[in-house]
Amino acid sequence: MANFNIDAKKDVTYDAIVIGSGISGGWAAKELCEKGLKTLVLERGKIVEHVVDYTTMNLDPWDMELRGGLTPEQKKKHYKAIRSGWIGTDTEHFWADDAANPYTEEKPFLWLRGHQMGGKSLLWGKQTYRWSDLDFEANAKDGHGVDWPIRYKDIEPWYTYVEKFAGISGEALGLPQLPDSHFLPPMELNCVEKHIKSRIEEQFKGRNMTIGRVAHLTQPHNGRGQCQYRNRCSRGCPYGAYFSSNATTLPAANATGNLTIRPYSIVQSVIYDDKKGKATGVRIIDAETNEDIEYSAKIIFVNASALSTTQILMNSKSNRFENGLGNDSGELGHNLMDHTYRVGAIGKVEGFDDKYYKGRRPNGIYIPRYVNIDEASKSDKFVRGFGYQGGAHRGGNPANVESFGAEFKNSILKPGPWEFFITGFAECLPYHENKITLNHEVLDKWGQPTLTIDAEFKENEKALNKQIQEDAVEMLEAAGLKDIIGFDKEHPPGYGVHEMGTARMGRDPKTSVLNGFNQVHAAKNVFVTDGACMTSSSCVNPSLTYMALTARAANHAVSELKKQNL
Amino acid sequence: MDRRKALQKTGLFAGATLMMPTMLSILQSCNEENRLHWTPEFFTEDEAKTVSLLVDMILPRTDTPGALDVKSDIFMDKVIARTYDAEGQEHMRSEIAAFNAKCEEQYGAAFIDLDESDRIAVLQEAEANSGKFNPGVWGTSVGEQEPIGFYRGLKSMAIWAYFTSEEIGENVLSYDPIPGNYEPCRPVSEVGNRWSL
Repeated sequence: MANFNIDAKKDVTYDAIVIGSGISGGWAAKELCEKGLKTLVLERGKIVEHVVDYTTMNLDPWDMELRGGLTPEQKKKHYKAIRSGWIGTDTEHFWADDAANPYTEEKPFLWLRGHQMGGKSLLWGKQTYRWSDLDFEANAKDGHGVDWPIRYKDIEPWYTYVEKFAGISGEALGLPQLPDSHFLPPMELNCVEKHIKSRIEEQFKGRNMTIGRVAHLTQPHNGRGQCQYRNRCSRGCPYGAYFSSNATTLPAANATGNLTIRPYSIVQSVIYDDKKGKATGVRIIDAETNEDIEYSAKIIFVNASALSTTQILMNSKSNRFENGLGNDSGELGHNLMDHTYRVGAIGKVEGFDDKYYKGRRPNGIYIPRYVNIDEASKSDKFVRGFGYQGGAHRGGNPANVESFGAEFKNSILKPGPWEFFITGFAECLPYHENKITLNHEVLDKWGQPTLTIDAEFKENEKALNKQIQEDAVEMLEAAGLKDIIGFDKEHPPGYGVHEMGTARMGRDPKTSVLNGFNQVHAAKNVFVTDGACMTSSSCVNPSLTYMALTARAANHAVSELKKQNL
Repeated sequence: MDRRKALQKTGLFAGATLMMPTMLSILQSCNEENRLHWTPEFFTEDEAKTVSLLVDMILPRTDTPGALDVKSDIFMDKVIARTYDAEGQEHMRSEIAAFNAKCEEQYGAAFIDLDESDRIAVLQEAEANSGKFNPGVWGTSVGEQEPIGFYRGLKSMAIWAYFTSEEIGENVLSYDPIPGNYEPCRPVSEVGNRWSL
């Protein structure tokens, strides 16, 4: 998929501008280009061309001088993101430079960013779950936040639409709280997972364990290859076996001839014309030359990732919008959410010493939400719910074996003990006071204001986490595991990397930023379809919903454009 | 140091199959006035000898290569030199010093100068008294982690260096860079050693 049109013609006028090329930006580009719009994608980082720029994709540990270890210089560059534990020499080049792009934590918050073409679609976890009306109705029912302007029926066809293109593997369960996707064949549970599944499902009515539903291909799909079970996804997949913008949406957009992508383009603001009553373009800073350039377009999709999108809107000031574009409600920057992370249980599994597996499956098990889904499962301790991810593998730490010498060495060459863990993801409520604000004291490398993040989990999330850990220990005990450790790392928000909210959708312009088609209420040619738009957070991974909302909004945008409504 | 004494001191690994390069290098180093045959980036010469001896005792050569055969000690030195910050490096140095001070106190000499039975006793005691690593979930250990201490930490690093060396990773452990499919329940007998990747 070579030959991207990388700003070759120096045009400054387009039909559409898409800010960001990650999961949602890629979808916006694909849909708009396929509908015939000349589209400019502005990417703040470098070009990462599928396969060609996956420089570490085939490296074994011994091919890397420090076998994954980071130098003090690299640690300094990623001094914030390193807390995640995800960054090694194999992926370091796909994580943003924290030193050049600082942010301020009023309370602890981990903000993970991928500043390159494809954004975090190169790095994401690929877990893909549909939301249900349990999620879309939650705010209205329990009174937290504002009501979603859409319901499942509005998004259902768009889930199907994006799933057919992206390729989602998984097992259909027919659960109302976790609607089935349009599935490719599921990946398989290993023998220990199958054993634990049967023990849990026998003893806990209403709980299911299934293989993770993932944007990994289990068979060739739309010209892409199937997963080869190397589990080196975050380095970029040479087979295009997982969904990334680089392997899927951007090549599709490019194939139309309508796409221009401009790297090193830091969007400073969206330009709003007070007289015309709409946005007319964007203002960028070239990250390499520091040059200021303006681009104009009829419609603008802001898909810079949740917090960056809102940062751009807050920085887009005009006479009409003194407090940031679309901020009539005062809700811009507020209601920041993430899922809780790393709380659950782990234990050892006995009795399968002669069993192993082949292949490094980039996926695990999933236990769908089972609390607060009906009257019978209602909790008196919290609202909303949680689901678990997890899995079984042979590992253990050989250094723990109390021995050394010849026999010891020979013993640790054999497969280690079976371990199984589950870790919960709890829904976070939309609290007005969990917010981001522009910081004019701390400037980035380009002299632009940065973000101050002020967010925390509160009593409801803590109560959910307590239940997650208790239930996890109970399920592992019931499954017969040994040496069980319940855990709660008490991570602050951000570790889940599911930042949602800060420019929420809603029915009422007085209490929300976006309408039911992701249009800024008072600037309808500006669309926000990344995590910023989310009105609540569900307990399931959000990316599939961003894809569906984006495709839906893009198609609405084109339709409105044709009717000359924008 | 005379050859005979050196042999006794490395007697832990005695046996015909062990009288090969590992031993020879130790003997040669004796002949070269007990000098290291490599230049550490971080360790002092005595620290390097201590670490080399430790990793050799933990992961000796058997019918498969030992830690020294795959230069685990040299790699560990490089990792400490290039990835540890100054504080971490200082900590490593002080831990080696404390380890040797304890050997002096209990057995009357630094670790590398002890005879074999004393060194074995030191390691046995370290095994019994070092904390153990909690299991990890997605790259981070969970639960209340007790202090690990120098010995277990070094042992863990030695095993990592050993497993991720090309020789062990490709030829001793089961190596399959492109599995192609996932077999969820394959008998151990059909795999052999643990997967290297």
